[in-house]
Amino acid sequence: MLWAGTVLTVLVTAWCVTAGTTDAGLLDVGRAIRLRVFGGVLDQDFAQTYSVIINLRLPRVLLAFVAGAALSLAGVVMQGLLRNPLVSPFTLGVSPAAAFGAALAILLTGGSAGSGSWLVIGSALGAALAVSALVLGLASAKAMSAATLLLLGIALTQLFEAMTAALQFVADENTLQAIVRWTFGSVNDAGWSDVGVVGACVVAALPLLLWFSRDLNAIAFAGDDAAKSLGVNVTAVRVGLIVVSVVLAAVVVSFCGVIGFVGLVGPHIARLAIGADHRYLLPFSFLTGGLLLVVADTVGRTVLAPSVIPVGIVVAFIGAPVFINLILTRRAAQ
Amino acid sequence: MSLEVASVRFAYRRNPVLEGVDLRVAEGGFCALLGPNGSGKSTLTKIIARVLAPAAGTVSFAGRDLLATPRREHARVVSYVPQSGATPFEQTVREAVLLGRTPHIGLRPTRRDREIVDASIERLGLAELSDRPMSQLSGGQAQRVLIARALAQQPRVLLLDEPTSALDLRYQIETLQIVRSVTREEGVTALIAIHDLNHAAHFCDQAVLLDGGRVVADGPPAEAFDEALLSRVYGLDVRVSRGAAGVEVRPAALEPTPLRAGTAPKESA
Repeated sequence: MLWAGTVLTVLVTAWCVTAGTTDAGLLDVGRAIRLRVFGGVLDQDFAQTYSVIINLRLPRVLLAFVAGAALSLAGVVMQGLLRNPLVSPFTLGVSPAAAFGAALAILLTGGSAGSGSWLVIGSALGAALAVSALVLGLASAKAMSAATLLLLGIALTQLFEAMTAALQFVADENTLQAIVRWTFGSVNDAGWSDVGVVGACVVAALPLLLWFSRDLNAIAFAGDDAAKSLGVNVTAVRVGLIVVSVVLAAVVVSFCGVIGFVGLVGPHIARLAIGADHRYLLPFSFLTGGLLLVVADTVGRTVLAPSVIPVGIVVAFIGAPVFINLILTRRAAQ
Repeated sequence: MSLEVASVRFAYRRNPVLEGVDLRVAEGGFCALLGPNGSGKSTLTKIIARVLAPAAGTVSFAGRDLLATPRREHARVVSYVPQSGATPFEQTVREAVLLGRTPHIGLRPTRRDREIVDASIERLGLAELSDRPMSQLSGGQAQRVLIARALAQQPRVLLLDEPTSALDLRYQIETLQIVRSVTREEGVTALIAIHDLNHAAHFCDQAVLLDGGRVVADGPPAEAFDEALLSRVYGLDVRVSRGAAGVEVRPAALEPTPLRAGTAPKESA
């Protein structure tokens, strides 16, 4: 099942590279990658296609994939640790906080710090960690119910969106444009360095999270008390894994802006496909999240071509109805 | 070789729950932890299970300090059956029982782990339900899954926190029989927080009565159950009778009252 998922993901991703205004088939993609990796003589008539594939399409599609995978992993970990299928980096207010942090850094540097600069990443990460510490601290101190936690997340989301809007209000033209980029997530202008950083984070996180999948299972299914009695150091595992998932979400936000719903919907699709055992759910969420964003971005850049709809907007169109459906069916089950 | 609890104290914020509890359960013994609501039964089980950390005192098994051993090793010695609660995610009965292998397995369960899981599913009479999702089970079935999980942990000490309160009479008795057979056949030491004094008297070797965070009676049920003491602890007039079937406790209000002409209500047929 996992292997079938991987093969499907690779095929769909490769197909998405071929989609676009410049004609390029799967064979062209393969040829371009071969040329890039192994070197060789670049024909004149293939040069333009090669350039489009290697410099534009491939980094874009790969960034969409790793960003989606990272958000989906962050979502599945948060859902398991908080034993709540409705939480995600977005609904807990982590992503909006990261966007605010990024916007603040851009404003303070007068728009000179661009996407992926360390200052922006650091600021996004700081804000994301601060808000998750606040949310989780309050959640454990007040022994919050799932519904209360979600309401707290919604309140924080509103607050940070208002604060980001306030920054936009005082910003000048250039800075404003740079900030607005973060408010609807996109993978426009993706470069290989972006792919490298986000990809490195998610590739490092996956085995680490898998290593703790046994503990995650115990916490998600048995609850804190029983997990402790099963030998899991609940507090340390929770803090450690939350930090990993917040870092994943914050890094994505600092490169791609706020892309909601992937962290929520990716894990749910994976759970429907393979069940809730985290040993399989984690890698499968990685695939579904990545695939979801790749497909959404391909839709975004082809439906109104040559105009490109930012991927954050396309995903929201898919994610909102799914989220509403989740809430309604959950109510019915209680 | 015994489970020993010495001078354990615990407080939730400023409210003291346990004020120096001492007790000893012999290896292979089946001990009932009794007392009214709020007397500290659950808290004491959670402390031995390392769910809660005591403010003071020690817990040891076979001379080994259980509060100082690493959690994972502790979990190979002590297993805990909580009161059943809902899980937010779908899981089959077999997967739920497999969680009991958590302190024993690395990343993947081995064939032996699966055999142990199947054996404890069988023991609790859950074999036909083993591929059923947990959400489709009744409260009693879910509670038995938790007991199967605790047995799959292959503990030396088994702790149960009011495992029978959600069960109907048949499963209450069956659960207690299973726990007793585990203590008899495998020499596991069991400690059960339980409300039903008569079940405790029938199945357990030892009864420990808690009141206000202190042990007020400890011994074989027939000796530990004292009419005056139980009446005071529960705030209810009780009668203790000792017959051929063992010791039995009844609230005085349920005793057959001598008929007084005109005043006694007639029992309906």
